[in-house]
Amino acid sequence: MEERNSTEKTPCNNALAQRRSKSYRQSMRSCVEATHLAYTSGLLTALRIPRSRKAPKSRDITKQVDPDQVALLVKKEWQLSYVTPFYQFRHTQLKSYSKQLSAFIVSEKQQGLAIEVGQELGFKVNFSVVLGLAETDKDAETVFIQILSKQAFAAKDDAQKVVWSGWLTCVNGDLDYLRSLPLEFVSLPLFCTRGPESLTVLVKSWFEKTFDCCFGPLGINSTNLQWLASLWTGCHPTINIQYLKLVWTLPTLPPMDVTYTVHPQDAWELWDSMRQVDTTEDSISIDEVTGFIKGLQSHFFRHFRIDLSAGSLMQISTALGSSHHSGKIKIASPNYIPTILQLLTECALLKMPI
Amino acid sequence: MSLLKPFSKLPGLNTANILLVENEEQFQQKLADTVVLQEKNVNVNVRLARSLPLPMENEESRPRIDLVVFIIHLTSELSFQSAETSLKYLDPGYFQGKVCFLVTSARNVSVPPERLVSVRKLAASLHCPLLCAEDQTTEGVTTAAHRLLAILKVAAGLVPMATGLYLSTLTRCTVPSDIDQQNFE
Repeated sequence: MEERNSTEKTPCNNALAQRRSKSYRQSMRSCVEATHLAYTSGLLTALRIPRSRKAPKSRDITKQVDPDQVALLVKKEWQLSYVTPFYQFRHTQLKSYSKQLSAFIVSEKQQGLAIEVGQELGFKVNFSVVLGLAETDKDAETVFIQILSKQAFAAKDDAQKVVWSGWLTCVNGDLDYLRSLPLEFVSLPLFCTRGPESLTVLVKSWFEKTFDCCFGPLGINSTNLQWLASLWTGCHPTINIQYLKLVWTLPTLPPMDVTYTVHPQDAWELWDSMRQVDTTEDSISIDEVTGFIKGLQSHFFRHFRIDLSAGSLMQISTALGSSHHSGKIKIASPNYIPTILQLLTECALLKMPI
Repeated sequence: MSLLKPFSKLPGLNTANILLVENEEQFQQKLADTVVLQEKNVNVNVRLARSLPLPMENEESRPRIDLVVFIIHLTSELSFQSAETSLKYLDPGYFQGKVCFLVTSARNVSVPPERLVSVRKLAASLHCPLLCAEDQTTEGVTTAAHRLLAILKVAAGLVPMATGLYLSTLTRCTVPSDIDQQNFE
């Protein structure tokens, strides 16, 4: 594997051997620098934190994706996690995976539930593919999972209701990373779930056992929340965002929460003034985003004498969607799904232990 | 501009003075208590400040500061900005081994990694060491105090054969510039 090659190159022995040929200071520097592993800058698995993004374009996703399936994804709040690549996951074997997962859930639920009577344990799992969300050739198709179950005390003929749903996706993932994966691995780094935590845990443990992967919680840190706020504000001309709400938590005693709601037209004007002169260019840089947020913070400071940069940004929401620091996302409009998912896929890939 | 100068006063006998600069004023108190308790052989005076410049009133009574430590909490952007603005009030003579950056919550998952990168770049551009500290546990505070004392004693000239400038070339923060630094033939 290429990754192993790059770790062999990094050095302690090499540095000692070089001391004869190169100057002392350079080899000291290489010894010191080799211990910096904040970012594994391997040749093929280097992932960079993006400093600029393409401006989101409103795209009618229903042309590519089945509208019913789109309806399953929007207007619901999802909890995010990241997952490492799956070993030997086949999109063709989804039916068998459904059977295996439902059997697994039933067996796990039966353990230790000897006393509870009247609990309907018939779980049915549905794996399906959502075609059309993947952007590049290297992205694996999105997989949507639903767990249906009869409610307790339901009449015999009642249909099973969806008690849990989740989906695995990869949208515009980093091409170098995806190309460097060996052939048996499929990478679907973003996992969104909705439903009882007990079922989420069961699904994750089944995946971990079957495909030898690892799950972890994905939070959305304040930089990414700022990206989302700017991207959504930038969509204002095409679709009215109706409001821009930001929630900060300040580390005072007792901790203070500040909810800052901005009129959409004002937010748009501020964002527009931040965009550099060449607005014809498609990309948005991180400086414009930080400038936009700083503008909002300094306005707040002028009126209330509270410096919001001393706290942390917890949540942002607009009519197009909302996003919380703990990893919750809600997309209300189907038009900008690819951009949001691309940002979240990047977060998941960066969070993964490579 | 009232710059803080490193060599404008005479040093005390067997004495070392450290200045802890922190915007939030939480960690410096705990750290100061631990530093004073840990060191038995040398008189360590710890001075606390919120930011530079230091008030003019104490100018006469203030002893010579041997080490200035900037404590930056990565959980807030303001902490970093306040440290950056305070840097302007230090005489350039301090940057030869008499300044140190101490960062807390570097492992915190909610901290955007770009903030640590910018602190590292700042420390690397000034050739200063960057220490990461854990401020929530007593063990972490003790470890941080121990490391600061090691640097302080060298900066105050109390360690024979070692000067602040020499130590800083060994301990200074470096930022690996991506791939081309890793070329070993």
